[in-house]
Amino acid sequence: MMGRTEQQPDPNDPDHCHDGQASDAAFAALLEDSADDLYESAPCGYLSTLMDGTIAKANRTLLNWLGLEREAVVGRMRFADLLSVGGRLYHETHFAPLLRMQGEINGIALEVKRADGGRMPVLVSSVVKHGSAGDPLLIRTTLFDARDRRAYEEELLRGRRAAEEARRQSEADRARLQDALAVLQQSLLPHTLPSVPGVETAAYYHTASADRLGGDFYDVFPLDGKRFAFFLGDVCGKGPQAAAVTSLTRYTLRAAALHDPDPVAALTTLNHVLHERYTGGGDPRYCTAVFGTFEPDPATGAIAVQLASGGHPPALVLRADGTADFLPTPGGLLIGILPSAPFTAATTVLAPGDTLLLYTDGLTEARTGKDRTSLYGDEALLDFAVELAGESPHAVIQALTGLLDSFGEGLDDDTALLALGVPPTDPETRSTE
Amino acid sequence: MSPLKITTRDAATGPVLEIFGALDYAHAPELRQLVSVTPLQSGQCLVLDLGGMDFCDSSGISALIAARHHAHAAGADIALAAVPVNTLRVLRIVGLDQVFTLRPDSVT
Repeated sequence: MMGRTEQQPDPNDPDHCHDGQASDAAFAALLEDSADDLYESAPCGYLSTLMDGTIAKANRTLLNWLGLEREAVVGRMRFADLLSVGGRLYHETHFAPLLRMQGEINGIALEVKRADGGRMPVLVSSVVKHGSAGDPLLIRTTLFDARDRRAYEEELLRGRRAAEEARRQSEADRARLQDALAVLQQSLLPHTLPSVPGVETAAYYHTASADRLGGDFYDVFPLDGKRFAFFLGDVCGKGPQAAAVTSLTRYTLRAAALHDPDPVAALTTLNHVLHERYTGGGDPRYCTAVFGTFEPDPATGAIAVQLASGGHPPALVLRADGTADFLPTPGGLLIGILPSAPFTAATTVLAPGDTLLLYTDGLTEARTGKDRTSLYGDEALLDFAVELAGESPHAVIQALTGLLDSFGEGLDDDTALLALGVPPTDPETRSTE
Repeated sequence: MSPLKITTRDAATGPVLEIFGALDYAHAPELRQLVSVTPLQSGQCLVLDLGGMDFCDSSGISALIAARHHAHAAGADIALAAVPVNTLRVLRIVGLDQVFTLRPDSVT
């Protein structure tokens, strides 16, 4: 058993009344006894050199680190000889000049060479001892073992490199994802609207959120030599799942229209496709849409429009005479929720100066008023349309774009607008987007 | 916007879910989840009482349709009770007023 008595310098002393004195003496003796030992076995390396660097004294700790015998070092080597090539260079160019200039230098990271060829990182501090006349006599140097610290620093560096690599990777991933999203988004909308002789078309798409793929869509495309088809709609939800429905919807309508251009038939085909694809998954996906065809009459300039709606707000017709009205399509059902669904058809003829306007409910559901609690609504839209009646499709879309901008934060949903009509005055064929 | 709160009770005809607050993008999944675990027997009628609902967007409509699918899969019927005027307007536009049984008042 280790006991306190064993640490006393004279355990054989039987006189316990001198115990206090004895332990004080023992303590002092311990300190005195350890002065040399402290130097030799200190937890750092000690080194004294002449001003030219020749080693005059080195402690055991340092010699052990170096793996050298005292005789091989003292009087035979200079401090710089202990250092690695890089360390020697640094010693010559910085360390020694600074030391001479300042009289001391602290905490310089260097590497010493070991007898076995290895390197050992150390932190070196030196101070110049001066004689009574102020002349430099020798240099005292301590070297601290920096192996743990170096390992720690390397660990930190490795960690930082790994973090930087991860960040680069994630930025590259994000850029790739954004590219992919942009390509997908572009595939959901026509790049440009086709040029239709005698007909002006214009469209606008407002994206509520840049990084969430929208669910509104529109298109205009030729069916045969004479007829064209158009559609505009709104898929429920947002994000990748909604975009997948939008894509399926767009290409189904395009293909269905080529097969049978009757508007109710095209929507019925779309209903079959969406219902078959999304039913039973517990996550019903559906859309609302207006699909139509039109055929310009070269003789009169008028165009006959046939359309059908599935759950979509009614189209607006703006007349050249300054009136405007909804083209009602009541009773048309959301597309995709039931195996068979009713769709409501309507027809109209657009004379020169008339414009057909399709929109999604982002427009009518925009929040207005001071506290953003009222909805813009159908009636306000109709009033706005009456003011625009007689304007060209391009001018109508421009005015509505301004209206959407004026909603500011109140417009929190994607909104698509599509207008087509016969230009009122300009006899030239125009097609703008 | 007020958050969604749903209470469930059993009437003679089947379960009644009373919906309070907003049935929107953020909250509609709660209704979907609740409906999917609501036990329904063939011949029952699931009633969604919307009298306390103050907002319903397209996500809310989706949740109503999902509830309809769930009821029909169980051989049960579904009805919407006390539909607020704004929501009724939307249901008419999208044709769902013909698909759902609508009841003017809450069930007691």
